[in-house]
Amino acid sequence: MSLTSPLFFAFLAAVVIAFHISESVPYRRFVLGAANAIFMASYLSDVTQVLPLLAFLGLGYASIYALYRRQSPLVLTAGVVAILCCYVFLKRFSFFEGLGQLPFPYLTIGLSYILFRILHMMVDVRSGDLTERIGPLAFFRFTCNFLCFVSGPIQRYQDFSAMDGKAAVQIDASVVYAAFSRIATGYVKFVIIAATADYAFTFVSPHLLQPSGYSFLKLCAVYATVASLYTVYLYFNFSGYMDIVIGIGTLLGQTLPENFDRPFSARSFLEFWQRWHMTLSQWFKFYLFNPLLMVLMTWLPTPALTSYLGVLAFFITFGVMGIWHGTTAVFVIYGLLMGAGASINKLWQVACTERLGKKRYRALTESAAYIYSARGLTVAYFVLALTCLWVPELPQFTALLARLGIAGVATTFVVVAVAFGIAALILDVVQARLRILDLSGIKGGVITRNLHLAGKMMAIVAVATLLHKAPDFVYKAF
Amino acid sequence: MKYILRQSALTLLSFAFLYVLLAGASFLVFPDPSSAGPRDFQAAERTLYMTVPKYVFLGRSVLADPDRKIILVGASNTGVGFRQKLVQSKLGCANVSNLAMGGANISEVKQVINLVHEVQTDRERQQNTFVIGIWFGMFVDSDVHFSDGDRHRGETDVDIERYRYGFYRRTPDGPVAVLPPQWLDAGVMAIRPFLLIEKVAREARAGVNLLLTGRVSAQRTDDERESVVMSDADKQKALAYWKESMGRTNDISPAQVDVLKQTIQALLSSGENVVLVDLPIPAWHRDASPYEPSYRLALKDLLREFGDQPNFLSPNMADLDNDVDYSDEVHAKRHLADVWSIRLANTLDSFVCRQKPDNAPRVTTLRSSELMTNEPQRVSTVAGN
Repeated sequence: MSLTSPLFFAFLAAVVIAFHISESVPYRRFVLGAANAIFMASYLSDVTQVLPLLAFLGLGYASIYALYRRQSPLVLTAGVVAILCCYVFLKRFSFFEGLGQLPFPYLTIGLSYILFRILHMMVDVRSGDLTERIGPLAFFRFTCNFLCFVSGPIQRYQDFSAMDGKAAVQIDASVVYAAFSRIATGYVKFVIIAATADYAFTFVSPHLLQPSGYSFLKLCAVYATVASLYTVYLYFNFSGYMDIVIGIGTLLGQTLPENFDRPFSARSFLEFWQRWHMTLSQWFKFYLFNPLLMVLMTWLPTPALTSYLGVLAFFITFGVMGIWHGTTAVFVIYGLLMGAGASINKLWQVACTERLGKKRYRALTESAAYIYSARGLTVAYFVLALTCLWVPELPQFTALLARLGIAGVATTFVVVAVAFGIAALILDVVQARLRILDLSGIKGGVITRNLHLAGKMMAIVAVATLLHKAPDFVYKAF
Repeated sequence: MKYILRQSALTLLSFAFLYVLLAGASFLVFPDPSSAGPRDFQAAERTLYMTVPKYVFLGRSVLADPDRKIILVGASNTGVGFRQKLVQSKLGCANVSNLAMGGANISEVKQVINLVHEVQTDRERQQNTFVIGIWFGMFVDSDVHFSDGDRHRGETDVDIERYRYGFYRRTPDGPVAVLPPQWLDAGVMAIRPFLLIEKVAREARAGVNLLLTGRVSAQRTDDERESVVMSDADKQKALAYWKESMGRTNDISPAQVDVLKQTIQALLSSGENVVLVDLPIPAWHRDASPYEPSYRLALKDLLREFGDQPNFLSPNMADLDNDVDYSDEVHAKRHLADVWSIRLANTLDSFVCRQKPDNAPRVTTLRSSELMTNEPQRVSTVAGN
């Protein structure tokens, strides 16, 4: 069920109405569970397509159940290995083709996010952070929550359980308006901005990927344009999706975690990942980076090495996170680029702190020149690394790199960094001026703000018909 | 719950208010044209519909009248080469509409014919004379021809318009009508606010183009096309383009030939007239193209099959192949388009207008001329039936 289809809006209206008919918690849990099942079923054309996913869920539940009975590292390790093997098999990673595959088509949407939820529960049950017994229905509602099923956000079970079927959000007129407005903003991002960027990307990118008689500078300019358009598409597509599900969540009494916090204002690569796909970053921090760093520090307990062990842990964590994004060899490169970005950033921080001292380093990072240079460099690195996502096949990827050469990649990097740094500076100045004008009063009235909301809806429908090809959520594929 | 219902109502009311406001504005800026009679679909840019496919899809209900109709279908060279106003001015007996679409292949031509049929009764269909303009570039399979990134593979411009406003829905077996064809005009009324927004967006884009490039669009004007002379490099480029576009190395798609054959057969069987025009292209292109021989062969077969049918005609325009009369490898310049149009009008005049009353379809009202007939209207058959 596409989140832009009329069917989804009808489904949503039915779920919201059914949810609010009664305040009984068991009843509301039933409604949410049924909604999840219907949402999943909408992706199926045959019942056999869901069987592998159900088996995956069954294995996850059995592992958690086993951990309740015996919280040993052995059970945890066996469970994690079994779940990961099952995941790798079902996801059909190209580098594990030798494993074979099931002889029928099946549902893989949501698999990655279900994996994160299951692993989190297993680790937390083992560590004692999750003591609450999870029933099979609660497990289903958590792992297959239709709001988070396709692309997250990745919730913790403890947070989910606190509002499962309960109205965690107190609904009043302003909360409901805010939810409606957030949903509309999400669709504006998704249907207007992301789809327009995708439209432009679709038209420009073939010129880059096919041999052409472009001059060096034109080739770099086209590459910078295509890579930037893809980044705009990715961000607005994904953050638009988040706005939509968080808004819907509010109407269903749920507070879903935020996934984006102005990522393009980040002054470093590490900060960028604290603002971009935040729930994924936090998950990797809790369940990979922290345990990994602990293990490394246990093996090499020399205090002088601690910072460098952090660099290594960042490299591994971001590497794994990058590889998770896809199933082809190019995503290994993406993982290495992410790992390199994070570890170089950490090394830079360590080196600067050692050389300048904490105080002078902090003063340096607060200077305008440093801020906008750092923002430009951060975004440029991310924009170019994302090439792996839009050129996911290795032969095409290497052909593009061969055409650009090191000089081409370096020139494009500088062009994007400078362009973004200047754009960010201008935008900040304009925003500061607008803040001085204080336009808050204009949006205040009921009529004005509802017309504003209706205007967004009108624009969404108009642009959706203009671009005619319904957009899809890009992270669904990851 | 009450807050959610209240907010839903407020949102819907606000939306309805804006909707009515825009609908009113659309009628003020673009009043609805008369509901019947000839229309120049090639002038879509000046209407609320903006593009030919959209205009044809949304504005085709004007073809649902009992008058004798000449309906031109084909690709852009049919659109450019046969000037609706000129052809109409030479033909008193029928309403002329040019529904040719840029980039159409034979499958899309068939779709356009089906769209016309959708809004017509059997009686109205009897009054149709379809002029089908063809050349070898139209015999490309849809999967090859319609494969750009912003559409589902194989979907034509007509398909896009079918799905765009939800009038049809996409199914594995092809488009299925959501809105019955008899409700087409009501559907168009309902989407007027969105058409206006699209129109404003397109005009804004044209304004930006004008500001940045000094031109409204990249398309050449008639005056520019009139003065163009193709260089050898341009010709080589054009040949390479068609070699890449056709999806085959040296022949046209047999499947598209079959589609054309079936389409003509169906039209003739239902009593409609068919004029199949083998559109001339510049001699250099015709002689250099590897697709011309297979096209000639297919055309010969078609003429052998249908040539002796009384409601079928295929005029010869092969002599109009002078290189300098074309602005590119396909399209006639304005002065040649005038010759094409007059020749077609003369052919149609003798084929359609001078048919014996017993055989020819009756015309009840001739909007393009002063002629009126008071003869009782009856279902007519075409010559020979």
